[in-house]
Amino acid sequence: MEELGKVYQLIIPLSGHKMVFNLDAIVYSWIVMLLILVFGVMATRKRGVIPNYMQVLGELFVSKLYALTEDALGEDMAKTYAPLVCALFMFLVLCNWIGIIPHLEEPTKDLNTPLSLGVMGFFIAHYVGIKTKGFKAYAKEYFEPFFIMAPLNIIGELAKIVSISFRLFGNIMGGAIIILVVSYLTYSILLPPFLNAFFGIFVGAIQAFVFTMLTVVYISVQAK
Amino acid sequence: MEQDIQTWVNLAAYLGGGLSIGFGAIGAAIGEGYTASQANSAISRNPALAGDVFKSMLVGQAIAESASVFALVVAMILLFSNIPADSFVTVAAVFAAGLSMGFGAIGSGVGAGFPAGAACVGMVRQPSVSGKLTTNMLIGSAVCQTPSIFALVVSFILIFSDFGSYPLWPTWGAILGAGLAAGLSAIGSGIGGGIVAGASSEGIARQPAAVTPVTNIMLLGQAIAQTPAILGLLVAFILIFKEFGASDTIAPAMALLGSGLCMGIGGIGPGIGEGIASSGGVKWIARNEKDIGTLTRTMLVGMAVAESTAIYAMVISLVLIFVV
Repeated sequence: MEELGKVYQLIIPLSGHKMVFNLDAIVYSWIVMLLILVFGVMATRKRGVIPNYMQVLGELFVSKLYALTEDALGEDMAKTYAPLVCALFMFLVLCNWIGIIPHLEEPTKDLNTPLSLGVMGFFIAHYVGIKTKGFKAYAKEYFEPFFIMAPLNIIGELAKIVSISFRLFGNIMGGAIIILVVSYLTYSILLPPFLNAFFGIFVGAIQAFVFTMLTVVYISVQAK
Repeated sequence: MEQDIQTWVNLAAYLGGGLSIGFGAIGAAIGEGYTASQANSAISRNPALAGDVFKSMLVGQAIAESASVFALVVAMILLFSNIPADSFVTVAAVFAAGLSMGFGAIGSGVGAGFPAGAACVGMVRQPSVSGKLTTNMLIGSAVCQTPSIFALVVSFILIFSDFGSYPLWPTWGAILGAGLAAGLSAIGSGIGGGIVAGASSEGIARQPAAVTPVTNIMLLGQAIAQTPAILGLLVAFILIFKEFGASDTIAPAMALLGSGLCMGIGGIGPGIGEGIASSGGVKWIARNEKDIGTLTRTMLVGMAVAESTAIYAMVISLVLIFVV
């Protein structure tokens, strides 16, 4: 139970300030990136008309997510943003699944990972909004329906970052805590594999998908 | 009678544990009862499928119960673990942990009953899609549990954090406020998410061809209906992790408690409202898949407007924390 909430940090003093690195999140996200690279190489090596297992899996991933992006953003924009969507989903799903391997932890359990991805989605969505509508029409939306609503509209936009990142963080963190506490209470007999299957694989995949969907929807709302 | 800190902490732990499972039992029981009634109405329409409906009723009820099981886990920990007693802040923290999980389990329990009931009825209407309906019900009711998981996270942080170095005034107000913010705001989102998932199960039974878009829009609607609970989680985190200077007056503690109450109660309505808004979207997309773009956009805008009251509540509670 003592491991609950323990974070390994590397603190480097830098001219009066402190640079803090959460080593867990960094190392585990590197492992996830490595896994994605290996998957990419395996899926594209020895490509053929009769595909091997990995190629089928890769094509399935890309075509499903591409279709999803096309539904929300239209054909033109999907060409630009579908690679982002595929990469985001693959990264998140592996991040959420890696915790079921003993001694590894989900990078998404650290709020910094979902928050940075949420901020990234926010900036991309607003960049798309300015690019497609022009700055004037984009800025005008904040003063609707009345002029005085502008601060609340801006807070509402910022609340989207909070909601998208805390949703992922809270689910993964909550699942990890439940697995830890229940394993501790039952002396790791019988229950942990089922809990790992539910909170790790099932909830992890759903939340990765929800995060990706919401990013796409935020982009499409800004674009229209 | 000697009343040291340990006595008070034990007292708060017993009270918190009782309230946790006491409130936590409300929601799941209502949800399960609703599921059973829908299952009966389904069986009476087509008794030949009684076995399938019975199975799916039990699965749905088992998931609806998980929020209550979380409350039970918190209550067991409060009753049986030795909580170190450093200061009187721990008394507030232990009590708030019970309140948070107890309130937080209500919404998810009620909510998870809707998809299970709709799946039972849908299975009878359209027996060929019972597999897809079960999957949809599982996803919908699993996502319904998210608000109660947030309340669980807050109550574990409250139980296991060390508040020894914090001044009693006004920290106790902040701690109690954090529990109430996370717990109460989860009620609305849990029920709202359930309404959406129920509409989606019904929609799939009416139009089995529309499984993919309906499931996607359901996830989207549930995710957005969870926003009030997430804002409650944010306010709870700020209240727990921000250090407040010691004060001699009662006002700062009340401001912090009020801030938690404001976000908690303010989050109930928007959660349910957004759920209703999104259930309309999901239901009509199943019947009119062609106009999915327009329907989704209207649904999202409607939900954003329904959410604005939760954002007002958050603004006021942040003002109470940082300005007052």
